[in-house]
Amino acid sequence: MKKFVDDPTQFVHDMEEGLYLANKDSLKWVPEYNIIYRADLPKDKVLIMQGSGSGHEPAHIMAVGPGMLDAACPGAVFAAPPMDFVLECTRLLKNPHGVLHIINNYQGDRMAWDMAKEMAEAEDPDLKIGVIIVNDDVAVEDSLYTTGRRGVAGNFFVMKAVGAASEQGKSLEELVALGEKVNGWTRSMGVALTSCTPPAKGTPIFEIGDDEIEVGVGIHGEPGRRRDKIRPASEIVDELFEAIRSDLPFESGDRVAVMVNGLGGTPISELYLLYGLVAKKCEAAGLTIAKNYVGNYCTSLEMQGFSLTLSKLDDEIEGYLDAPASIPIRVF
Amino acid sequence: MNTLTQAQVELAVTTMTEVALANETYFSDLDAVMGDADFGHSLADGFRVVKERWGEFDHSSIGPLLLNVATTLTSHTGGSSGPVWGTLFMRTGMAFRGKTELTLDEIAAGLRSGMEGIMKRGGAVLGDKTLVDALNAEVESLEASAVSGEGTLIDALDRAATAAYDMRETSKGWVAKRGRQSFTGERSSGTYDPGIVAFGDMAKAIVAALKQ
Repeated sequence: MKKFVDDPTQFVHDMEEGLYLANKDSLKWVPEYNIIYRADLPKDKVLIMQGSGSGHEPAHIMAVGPGMLDAACPGAVFAAPPMDFVLECTRLLKNPHGVLHIINNYQGDRMAWDMAKEMAEAEDPDLKIGVIIVNDDVAVEDSLYTTGRRGVAGNFFVMKAVGAASEQGKSLEELVALGEKVNGWTRSMGVALTSCTPPAKGTPIFEIGDDEIEVGVGIHGEPGRRRDKIRPASEIVDELFEAIRSDLPFESGDRVAVMVNGLGGTPISELYLLYGLVAKKCEAAGLTIAKNYVGNYCTSLEMQGFSLTLSKLDDEIEGYLDAPASIPIRVF
Repeated sequence: MNTLTQAQVELAVTTMTEVALANETYFSDLDAVMGDADFGHSLADGFRVVKERWGEFDHSSIGPLLLNVATTLTSHTGGSSGPVWGTLFMRTGMAFRGKTELTLDEIAAGLRSGMEGIMKRGGAVLGDKTLVDALNAEVESLEASAVSGEGTLIDALDRAATAAYDMRETSKGWVAKRGRQSFTGERSSGTYDPGIVAFGDMAKAIVAALKQ
């Protein structure tokens, strides 16, 4: 293993420290619970939190800021946050308008967040907690660690929409309905060229040959649809696009947001090459790309690969994607 | 004696802790037959931290103490055992909020709430050959004793512990439907479920400790 790291067991702590030191005016940090939250925590709106495993940065700690998340509490690399991290973060955000939990659909996350919610509600019966489960990955119907489809890069559209809506004073119930609508209209699928190595583990999470790709890979290296030989980029895009398009299905005339998300180790040049291919597929299918996002959003450490996400838009969602947001990575 | 005092409830929890620590290898060996041989170690990891932090917990009444145990077990017990055992203590902690002694009715209701919480969280139902089956035997026995009014509270706990303990033989021929054991399908028939054994051992040990 070759990484920029001091103590591999302190990887998440040291990464969060760097994030905090780079954004001391806008972020606060609670190292005991891996919590990053807004320094200017608002008092007049629903507060929103997310947090799955670490190793997916910028998701989700680098998406904390006005217009997106109010706090994030990730677990260790590729591990759900322990229940007390979620509970402590929920306590921190406690307010009369309510707290919104955005959860990616994995068994460990579901159990930890469900327990923390029950515990927080028991502590304060007046506290309102809303839940949105994100499950945008079309690759497989069920997987290691999941209860149904996995939550992957599509969570950025959910976070962005509810984040903007919360700034406009929407109620907890309205935000849950909005988040469910966005999630319901969002589909993703990924492909990996290489594996990746969690620092504390020290070895790759799966083996893959020099000429092989994993089609439909999960963001923790979980198996996808199949192992294949490397092929031209356009053929790979064809397969991902068709799997995604036919699943919702997206139909001619739809307005969509498109995300070409790097899994951590793919150069931006290749991501734009892929975007060009996707844009042509959309045009041929009669889809109008109203918004596009190309870059690293939801990664798997240094894995080479990408995921494609399509999200169907209406005027309401498009307005929220256009609304201002200010987060450390400044992607929106 | 018609109630359990807070001191007796605390004795029950420290007894569960001792059972988990003393049987770390044994429970893992049971798990090795059909599972991944980590159950005993996972459970001991959680209860070890409970033991370390026992003095720091909120001992003002039974509820907050059990909630402290719940948080600790959930965060430090590996695998699915964390949320499962954590939920048992969380639900009973909520049920026993503000109380410094417990009646038989309250104990039965608290444990039933704990059992329902585990079923909701993990999706297990009766007959899946999990901890829930032993817990259900315990709860049904306690509820029957509450109706009949027969004997002392300790007698009722004794009968319930025997019912929970006996579930290991009752369920031995069943096929596991949840957790890693279920991956082996029919081959799990004829083996003991480690969660059922652990809960039965704990229930028996608690009664023995209370009688002393």
